[in-house]
Amino acid sequence: MANDTKYLDQHVGELLSGLVDGELTQQDRQRVLLHCEQCPVCSQNLAELQALRVRIGKARLSTIGEDTWRETMNDSMVQTSKGVGWILLIIGLAMALAAALHVFFFSPDMSLWEKFMVFAIYGGLAVLLFSVLRQRFIERKTDKYKDVEI
Amino acid sequence: MKRGDMQQELVQLGNGAHALATHTLGNREDAADAVHDAFAIALKRPEAFDSSKGTLKTWFLCVVRNRCIDQMRRRRQGETSLDKLVDPGAGPDQALETAQRDQALGRALAQLGNEQRQVIVLRDYMDLSYAEIAVVLDIAPGTVMSRLHRARMALKEELNCHGE
Repeated sequence: MANDTKYLDQHVGELLSGLVDGELTQQDRQRVLLHCEQCPVCSQNLAELQALRVRIGKARLSTIGEDTWRETMNDSMVQTSKGVGWILLIIGLAMALAAALHVFFFSPDMSLWEKFMVFAIYGGLAVLLFSVLRQRFIERKTDKYKDVEI
Repeated sequence: MKRGDMQQELVQLGNGAHALATHTLGNREDAADAVHDAFAIALKRPEAFDSSKGTLKTWFLCVVRNRCIDQMRRRRQGETSLDKLVDPGAGPDQALETAQRDQALGRALAQLGNEQRQVIVLRDYMDLSYAEIAVVLDIAPGTVMSRLHRARMALKEELNCHGE
């Protein structure tokens, strides 16, 4: 009898959620069920929590379809393969450039002045191209209006 | 796990992951980006998933959550706006009444804190066990029940306030 009074005095609180989710030990489960039989407040809470759980389970919190996710995933794979492609291309070009420079600088057919002249022209163009690309890259990163559609 | 099998399973986790990301970031578009990134990470290194340590679902949701944390650090925006959180409307096969009920639920969820929304989505929407939720949210297993109960009571209160 004393125990019954104790049940009514102390609501089971979070154990109700544990019961709804089937995460209680056998002992706690029995205790909560016994309490709910005697306590209308917890009994009502239990029914409401069960209903809420069913409602959330059935809700569509996201309405994006599986086809869209499949496409997204394929996009991811395309991006990855694109990245690998770019890396291979850059490595190939860098090796070809290094080989060309080696042949150019060690060629006995051209004088030092001619080599310097050709190097200055192509070197200058490369530096200009690099500075333009760098500027574009910085603008792209920092332009806060880039997503604005006109 | 083979890449094709993983891809198939991940497709089915897409919506749940998107719901978790939405209720972590407070924004559906950013959430879709986070899920997209998580797909890319998972498929780039499928060997990173160790089935002896847990399920693919738990592992993938951890990846999604980490992506969300990265995004929040980068963008430093924690605010939640109602219109960016609640799904915009009914799908083609969804009745208007059901859609309105779901939107009301979304609005009520939006009133809760991030942690409370996450735990509700993981348990009630994605059906994860308490142990799995503890892994995904990186919290002690003993904390899950109390956090979830507080979240549910707060959500119930919100729904009652709006006559739902």
